[in-house]
Amino acid sequence: MTQRQVQLRLGFGALLAAVFLVVYAIPAWVSSPSNVGNIILSPLFWPYALAGFTGLAGLGLVFSGLRLEDTGAAVNARSDDPTAAWLRLAGMAVIMGLTMIALPRLGMVLTSMLIFAATAFLVRTRHPVTALVCAVIIPLVLYAFFAHVAGVAIPQGNILRLP
Amino acid sequence: MSFLDSIAAGLSLVGNIESFLALFMGVAIGVIGGAIPGMSATMAVALTLPFTFAMQPITGILLLLGVYKGGIFGGSIPAILIKTPGTPASSATILDGYPMAEKGEAGRALGMALWASCTADVISNLSLILFAGWLASFALSFGPPEFFTLILFSLTIIAGVSGESLLRGALSALLGLLLATIGLDLVYGTNRFTFGDPNMMGGLNFIAVLIGLFAIPEILAMVWHPTAHVGTARSLGKNWVSFADYRRSFKSIVRGSFIGVFLGSIPGIGAAPSAFLSYSEARRTSKNKENFGKGEVEGVAASEAGNNGVAGATLIPLLALGVPGDVITAIIIGAFMIHGLQPGPMMFILNVDIIYGLFIGLIVSSVFLFLIGTVAIRGFKYVADIPKRILIPAVLVLCIYGVFAVNNNIFDVGVMFVMGWVGFMMVRYHIPAAPFLIAFILGPLLEDNFRQSMLMSGSDPSILVRGPITWFFWAMTLLTIVAIVRAGVRAVKGTSALSPKVKD
Repeated sequence: MTQRQVQLRLGFGALLAAVFLVVYAIPAWVSSPSNVGNIILSPLFWPYALAGFTGLAGLGLVFSGLRLEDTGAAVNARSDDPTAAWLRLAGMAVIMGLTMIALPRLGMVLTSMLIFAATAFLVRTRHPVTALVCAVIIPLVLYAFFAHVAGVAIPQGNILRLP
Repeated sequence: MSFLDSIAAGLSLVGNIESFLALFMGVAIGVIGGAIPGMSATMAVALTLPFTFAMQPITGILLLLGVYKGGIFGGSIPAILIKTPGTPASSATILDGYPMAEKGEAGRALGMALWASCTADVISNLSLILFAGWLASFALSFGPPEFFTLILFSLTIIAGVSGESLLRGALSALLGLLLATIGLDLVYGTNRFTFGDPNMMGGLNFIAVLIGLFAIPEILAMVWHPTAHVGTARSLGKNWVSFADYRRSFKSIVRGSFIGVFLGSIPGIGAAPSAFLSYSEARRTSKNKENFGKGEVEGVAASEAGNNGVAGATLIPLLALGVPGDVITAIIIGAFMIHGLQPGPMMFILNVDIIYGLFIGLIVSSVFLFLIGTVAIRGFKYVADIPKRILIPAVLVLCIYGVFAVNNNIFDVGVMFVMGWVGFMMVRYHIPAAPFLIAFILGPLLEDNFRQSMLMSGSDPSILVRGPITWFFWAMTLLTIVAIVRAGVRAVKGTSALSPKVKD
């Protein structure tokens, strides 16, 4: 991705977002009392103003992107193995998704132990035993602090119940 | 209340073991967090924030300020020893610090970095104490139109100087402002982008958004490239900094400290530009200018004084006006809000004990920084040896616990994950995250002051230019835009002029 591509993609993205906000999102998801006579005081005014400025910023980005010369130089350093990098990212997305499902069911401590181990192996740790030990100890220490010092009701789940 | 009464009130609040222990711990956490490549002072402050929920307001805020102060210095350790700045503010320290390490003078460079940091820290803290109260008393006369123009100016300058281009900064700020509209309307209480979900009605949780933006993208970056941040630390060498070195660099340290104070007190500029400006001024005026870039101890002193001079001064707009000067103070404002405190001019009247307690704590933090920094320089090897691929999952788990603890709500954990991906995309597309976060915090304040102004004037927009204060901020906003656009146009022209030569 070159500097020019970044600028153009951001510009078109901002323009699309502005159009989506004005045409669909604000009318559908922002409600205003019918007795508000003055648009400036309406709850709709601020979102519409921001959508307008986003559109302007998008136009500016497209305009400046078109003026940039395409040098062919990539703006981000390439990963050694892009396919593996994308797969790891997808794996991380799955871990995050599963965390949201597991938190109310398994509780925070057990879920944290599992995602600690999963993330450590996802990033190919060279210390697997240390990772497993930390995966057990760190969630327990954090539980002890937040539940007993800070007084937070940490979700316990159905399998593991801690004092 | 007289000055002495205020100091006595502050002392009665912080004059206990708990407060000083929190400050000491904060500086230690900050130095370690800043010294770990791949972490940063910002991330260290963000991750410490959840631990302050259970503390007294003053103790929690002192802990965070300690992390901030320690983190800025800690960043210089890997900058000098492994040529990787621990925080962006330490980038200028590499220029002379690493060449010194290559010559076997890493210990001398680190010692000078510490001495310069502590000196600049003291100057910056004293400036804060001198100017914050004066600015707050001036700001007491601000009404909604003045606050609206002040926040607009702050957002403009933050958007303009945070990243590579004004437009990307502006886009980032606009996205932050849009995100801040989620929730119930401030005046009518109607729904805005809540999708009927009660979790969204109070707006998105600030802590979830900030941890998502500043910690999760680091985890994703590590997942993307697990072997990044791997470097070999240089040995400290036998040379240590001498008082003669300090005396020779003293002028550059003081100049750098004042540059830091000046730039730090303007919202949005931050420590990195200050460090580079201080370094370039030292190089311009030094007798040893030909040694700069080759391992000149005065260069290390100037850049460290520049970045640490900012640390106290960024609190001037935060405490006096309620406007965060940079991302870290934006996080610290979160700690104030969690404890029901609203920084700004009224805090100097209603919570003067907390203000003076903070001032006392900040002065003491410079002493703690000196003590902890001396130990940290020698102990860096152990910090550098922490396996990053175990640290990152630990950070992830800490983020989950911390975000959940704010409201006991799993929904906030989901918000953090989503914001993490947004933050990662922003990094890939080189959109600065600072304007996003600061706009997200200031968004409701900006809208509220705008609508209050309109209510006051019967929707007459001329109230926004009602007096000298608003004229001043409008003029500053316009000047900022013109200056940044001109700099951008010059940069584009410079690139175009260079590219044929590159092709040749």
